[in-house]
Amino acid sequence: MSLPPRTATCWQRLATGGLKQLKTSNLGAQMLGQRLEMSKLSAAQKADEIYAFFVKWERGLTNEISQLAGL
Amino acid sequence: MKSVNLQACDGARLSALMQIADAAALIAAGAPLGIAGRAEALDQLPAGNWVGGTTPYFMTEAGGRIIGEDQVWVRDFSGLGAVRFAAYDVDHLEQITQEAPENGFSLTIIPFQSECHQRFAHDAATYPLAFLRPTVGWIAGFDLGQAGGKAYVYDGRTATRHADRAVVAHIELPADQMASVEIVNLFAPDGVDTIRFDTEGFAITHAIVNGARVPFADYVNARGMADGRLPLVGDYSGAYVNASIKRVDGETVHLYAPVFPGVDYAFAAPVADFAAAFRDRLDGVSQEGAAWSCNCILNFLYGDLEGKTIGGVAGPVTFGEIAYQLVNQTLVQVRVQ
Repeated sequence: MSLPPRTATCWQRLATGGLKQLKTSNLGAQMLGQRLEMSKLSAAQKADEIYAFFVKWERGLTNEISQLAGL
Repeated sequence: MKSVNLQACDGARLSALMQIADAAALIAAGAPLGIAGRAEALDQLPAGNWVGGTTPYFMTEAGGRIIGEDQVWVRDFSGLGAVRFAAYDVDHLEQITQEAPENGFSLTIIPFQSECHQRFAHDAATYPLAFLRPTVGWIAGFDLGQAGGKAYVYDGRTATRHADRAVVAHIELPADQMASVEIVNLFAPDGVDTIRFDTEGFAITHAIVNGARVPFADYVNARGMADGRLPLVGDYSGAYVNASIKRVDGETVHLYAPVFPGVDYAFAAPVADFAAAFRDRLDGVSQEGAAWSCNCILNFLYGDLEGKTIGGVAGPVTFGEIAYQLVNQTLVQVRVQ
């Protein structure tokens, strides 16, 4: 399953609480999720960070990417 | 920064205790190294491509060890990729991630109770690119059996020791490989109370326990947790991140890692046998690609790990562990796949 483009709505959903609902054992994703929940960044900025994280680690996030459509 | 690429270097990746002369020979050969040991040993090493930090405690494949002044532990990064060495003062710690390789990891060593230790612990998770360019590593310590112990890190480029710097080996991996940061945390929330904090820090006076603001020292004492054997476990979106109790001093609870507002904490449930628990967690977990690991001094002490094996994972035993940010009482491992 390929990574949705930045324009896909899943990134906004992840940025507004969805990342904490993601089933993942990836330590970076978990820590990033917590950090973004605690941050005052805008939803768009959070979505940018989440998208960049998925682009960078796409190869190791197969399970997480498969969940994006269902969020 | 000098860049060294020894992908063509002879020999398998080395991770072992050795005599000082053998480590000096590896340095002389130009190998890019991470080195740990007592200050008396590290002081004897020549300049070269290495970073180091003090601790006499180690996990080896044969079990936990406390070494003397005649040995050091050496991790040879030859063959992993290009290695650059750097050192950062307290005002430039966020450059660790900015100068980190696009693909790789930054092995970072910081002295215990230094300003760098405090600042990194507070800020690391908010550094630009923190989760895109992983920082891993350890907090250097000292022999707890010796009075006046002090932690140091070493910038091997000049064979200089520092009491308040972060020394870093930036390790750049080939494009077809990827670094994965993993932790083994034996602790899980005990389910008794949910604890939150309205201030960030290593020294805490109040907590919000199940919604009620209470003096934290009173709470810790009442729970019988002042001995520090069981850490606070923070729930980071499902990852358990520990902050261990250092001491209770009057109305203040001192911690080995800061707590943060917005994170749900609980005290950890007891672990009966640390060594067996580690072996259970590591059994069946492939060590393929294991590039580096460390474990916590509190696990070593409270788990009585000297002489005990924990499943073949070897490395320094440290006064704090770094997996993107500072964590406590945790085994941290980097895998390259």
